[in-house]
Amino acid sequence: MSWNKQVKRWPGWMVLLLVVVGLLAVGATRDTGPRTPEERVEEISKRLACPVCDGESVFESRNNASQSIRTEIAQQVAAGTVSDDEIVTFIEQRFGGKVLLVPRATGIDALVWALPAAALVCSVVGLAFAFRRWKLAADTVPDDADRALVAAALQRGEADG
Amino acid sequence: MSEPGVTLDAPPDSTGRGRRRIAPFIVLAVTVVLVGLFWVLASSDSSKPDTAESFLLGRPAPRVVTTTLDGTPFDLSRRKGSWVVLNFFNSTCVPCKAEHPELVAFVDQQASLGLDGAEFYTVVNDDSDGAVRTWFDDNGGGWPILRDDDGTIAIGFGVAQVPETWIIDPDGIVQARYAGVTTAESLGTVLQRLRQARG
Repeated sequence: MSWNKQVKRWPGWMVLLLVVVGLLAVGATRDTGPRTPEERVEEISKRLACPVCDGESVFESRNNASQSIRTEIAQQVAAGTVSDDEIVTFIEQRFGGKVLLVPRATGIDALVWALPAAALVCSVVGLAFAFRRWKLAADTVPDDADRALVAAALQRGEADG
Repeated sequence: MSEPGVTLDAPPDSTGRGRRRIAPFIVLAVTVVLVGLFWVLASSDSSKPDTAESFLLGRPAPRVVTTTLDGTPFDLSRRKGSWVVLNFFNSTCVPCKAEHPELVAFVDQQASLGLDGAEFYTVVNDDSDGAVRTWFDDNGGGWPILRDDDGTIAIGFGVAQVPETWIIDPDGIVQARYAGVTTAESLGTVLQRLRQARG
């Protein structure tokens, strides 16, 4: 079997899947090192949407409300007693979930994460079933040996008939 | 006599049976999605109450320590014992200006109640002192105007757009929020209901 065909069999797909999952895990958990307060304020500001603008983050917006929120974030970061998530929660509680640029993974918002994953799983399973059905259909196509067998049976039938 | 041209049976056609097997699941999936959407829409509150929702309702009011435009110190925590109404205002805000006569009427109404009447304060942020004073001089309203120069008070209450009006009870607990224009009648009715509920 050629190397090309070997790679396209299931071990090759498993290796590809393991590499992708491994890279995703590394990317999601890597430690970028300690951050300055300014970097923390910037990162938190980029997680929040301007409450009165359309599509801008608190980091980008020059709206007065966004500037006030950045000031509040800077004060809480300077206090050094709360985490980034706690600061985001503080702002979210006061302005509502619409200020979250990254939806939470709880409640109805979890559908944003769950539906694409579910669609991916359903697609993979559907493809697996489809491939299997195509393979079975291919196996029922008669080959030359089958035709020769039938031709011989027909000849015997004609001779008897 | 034999029949010429006998053809091999075609492979069993599984696609028809396959479609019949899958169809019920597709119908079930679509039904589940439609029922889910219907449930989400039906459970949403489409009524339009006077007051708006807030995380702060039933919780202690945020810290408000500032000064009035005239420089007089103000601390909300020292106003416990009285009902307090905070109105967030900006002199460039058209709805705020439209609402102002209602607020003047409400304050007059509360003043007629004597010591039982609610205290009323306006909070201004990102505004010109001169413009605010001119507006109040021209349109009435002798109540204290509080500074919120750094937006801390607005952020504490979650006020992104004006006007907004907040009612705080004598224990310092937030009891009501109006997001948008309100009226003297609505404010008075809600305040009266809150007083009665408190006993």
